[in-house]
Amino acid sequence: MTAKSHDRVQVVDAERQLINWLGLGLFAFLGVVAVVPLFLIISDVYIKGIDAINSLGGLWVFLTELPPTPYDESGGIGPMLVGTLYMTALGALLGIAVGFPLGVYIGEMRKEKFANVARAGVNVLVEFPTIVVGLFVYAVMSLAKEDLNRYMLGPLSNAISSLGEWTPRFIGPLDNVISLLGEWIPWFIGPLDGFNAYAGAVALTLIMIPYVALITASAYASVEQPLREAAYATAGREFNALFVVLRKAVSRAVLTAALLGTAKIAGETAPLLFTAFGNFYYAPFTGPTGAVPLWIWYAAQTPYDVQIVSAYGAAAVLLTIILTIFIIARIRG
Amino acid sequence: MLGFLLIVLLIPYLIAAYALLLVKLKWGLKQFGALIVAIIGLLTAMFFVEAYPIIERDGLAVFLEVRWDPVRESYGVLQALTGTILTSAVAIALAMPMALGVAVTINEILPARLRGIFGSLVDLTATMPTVIFGLWGLFVLGPFLQDAVNFVSRSLVGDDVMTSPYTLFTAGVLLAIMITPYAAAVIREGYALVPKPVEEAIYAMGATKFEAALIKLRYARNYILGGFFLALGRAMGETVAVAMVVGGNFSRFTTNIFESGITISSLIALQFPNAAAYQYMVPALFAGALLLTLFGLAINAVAIYIIQRGQI
Amino acid sequence: MAKIEVKDLRVSFGALPVTTGVNLSIPDRSITALMGPSGSGKSTILRVLNRLIELYPEAKVSGEVYLDGQNIFDMNVLELRRKVQMIFQIPNPIPNLSVFENVALGLKLNRLVRGRRELFERVKSALEKAQLWDEVKDRLGAPAGKLSGGQQQRLCVARALAFEPEVLLADEPTANLDPENTAKVEALFLELKKEMSIVLVTHYPPQAARISDYAAFLYKGQIVEWGPTRDVFTKPRHELTEKYVTGRLY
Repeated sequence: MTAKSHDRVQVVDAERQLINWLGLGLFAFLGVVAVVPLFLIISDVYIKGIDAINSLGGLWVFLTELPPTPYDESGGIGPMLVGTLYMTALGALLGIAVGFPLGVYIGEMRKEKFANVARAGVNVLVEFPTIVVGLFVYAVMSLAKEDLNRYMLGPLSNAISSLGEWTPRFIGPLDNVISLLGEWIPWFIGPLDGFNAYAGAVALTLIMIPYVALITASAYASVEQPLREAAYATAGREFNALFVVLRKAVSRAVLTAALLGTAKIAGETAPLLFTAFGNFYYAPFTGPTGAVPLWIWYAAQTPYDVQIVSAYGAAAVLLTIILTIFIIARIRG
Repeated sequence: MLGFLLIVLLIPYLIAAYALLLVKLKWGLKQFGALIVAIIGLLTAMFFVEAYPIIERDGLAVFLEVRWDPVRESYGVLQALTGTILTSAVAIALAMPMALGVAVTINEILPARLRGIFGSLVDLTATMPTVIFGLWGLFVLGPFLQDAVNFVSRSLVGDDVMTSPYTLFTAGVLLAIMITPYAAAVIREGYALVPKPVEEAIYAMGATKFEAALIKLRYARNYILGGFFLALGRAMGETVAVAMVVGGNFSRFTTNIFESGITISSLIALQFPNAAAYQYMVPALFAGALLLTLFGLAINAVAIYIIQRGQI
Repeated sequence: MAKIEVKDLRVSFGALPVTTGVNLSIPDRSITALMGPSGSGKSTILRVLNRLIELYPEAKVSGEVYLDGQNIFDMNVLELRRKVQMIFQIPNPIPNLSVFENVALGLKLNRLVRGRRELFERVKSALEKAQLWDEVKDRLGAPAGKLSGGQQQRLCVARALAFEPEVLLADEPTANLDPENTAKVEALFLELKKEMSIVLVTHYPPQAARISDYAAFLYKGQIVEWGPTRDVFTKPRHELTEKYVTGRLY
């Protein structure tokens, strides 16, 4: 190489190194920018939220009391917390119960054509607009409510309450307990209003199912072929192979899916807007039910300071629940 | 009656499906697959049914006009449709570079120990409740953006361009922060799939790290497209966070992103509580929901198709 | 002076040593074979020669390597990789790029050509040298992934030749090819050695016997014997060497 062309090559190399530094720097900058808001939000919520909880009466008050009216000075999210816990638990249980077999189906039966159709369906549903899911449940609910109450739930709750009437004849000392139960049961079972906790739970279930299904499917799909063949060979029945032998291999992923899915639906608001609707009081689950995200949604948009403050407190509580679940999932997964 | 039958039949169906799992596994599993397909079909059908009254009365005008006049029972969701498109466009334009940045940062720049933590941070952003994003947007991001944008516009055109903190632009920026992790997850997956032999060949040709990253991104272009559509679908469907910062402008048509606006999903969320009082508002909102559903189905289907085609 | 001098090269992956104190002299314009059973460290040594070992952060390298008297670790790595090209055991063209783009990529990245005319000429001559031009000249735009295995490997050779390199490192290049394509590649090397130094890693002693001028026998990370091929094969000084070249050692 001539001296001149050698110099030219060195300049080109230097230029490429410069572009290398600038380009990688740009990518790093963009990556960091993507993550910075997380810190901003978490610190904002906790700083204002902890302050809020203190100013509204302290943690215990906040977790159990009714929400503040515009003129109160203290209050809490008691009813909302109960609603969130109830609907999230129901939604998560049903979501796993249906999502897991569904995931096994699309993960294992890859050769069946229908499985691929179902897989496409699940992929489409997994990040579907959640408000649409809520509207769907609302539509079905309003269509079915009258008849559901008249033919099923009405007679059922009548039967259960009248159970409380004739058992004392047989079980004397327990009739206090029974009549106590009789008071509580209508909170859970009975004729449903248009807005109720079960509709909310169903909406949450519909959101959780595709999520659990997809992660289960990829957990089963990533089982190496030799292991799968060994499982089928030693287990006899297919049921045993998939659910007993392979359990160890997939349980971690499925557990992570269950935990993360639960965290996800605990924070959902839109699907609850037209199903649970929201409630400021402790009330039966057969009627409108409150939830923590719903309260944040409502209170943040009011003009009243005390309610806005309580929204931040609620956000801090919600964030804590979700962060806890997330960290547990990351550690165990 | 129909709805009641649906619910009543669902419970025995589920019980049968579980029982089948124990007896003949494959059939049992298939029932769950059928269930999910049935749900999608039912969903679309129900929205057609609920939206029918206003489509019957106005035809396609409900999608093409700008109007929200409950008193005169006259509705058109065009301004919401425009809002959805504008906010999604802003969101995806900001989110894609960030998602690419995340993928390259994790795979090329960070040392091995930090990769897991950084990845978890990005995933955590995806798990954050949208209502908390909305809360932050309402009290922190909105006012900040208003100050920042007006500062720039005062020096450029001598005037305040954003008169309210709550505009389509605010919603777009907030959406960008929320959808970046979704695109990033897909792109990361594709980027990691570049085979080691191909990576060796790239470096053996004397590529710098940046040049190698660009070549790898080109290799993973199907995943980038897939992430694009997934994030876009998410942006179009997001409701609560957008509703809290978009400004709630129901009736005036605007294409200026620095003005308040409305999107289809936030329209439904904000107007539904009133809707029962009017005769045609509920069907109008369901018409909007139908539009969202069809968009959601189409975009997600495209995303899946692109990702799967790249896998072959 | 030898083209490449290797002095006391030690490479370990984490705590596991792969080569221990390797010394080697690679002459110019000849084919030097590195042979030995699998796991003896041949591919690792090869990857030190163009510093590709740096892609593996777990790998620790000590020792000295000189190219034409220059320490390669002090050199600009981009310059090193222009002069020292590599072809791999499993053909690795970039599958989504076209045949033309695969060969052109190195030239474009390193700004080795000016203008499309010159680029085309360089690519064409590289493909001709690799004996692939006639088969692909009508489908230069086809994705490289669509070529057959043998064609892909020759494409990789063309890609390397486009640099007009001084050294060609070949990591078991014919291990995955059928006999016909193997013969083509071997004939190609015999032509190329007139212009450059070739370091050929092979796990198949007859191949070394066929085409190499010098041979080094590696066993468990150490050079057991090294010298002109004819000597190594007909008058091996070491018992291990004799076992290996007669096929009794794997």
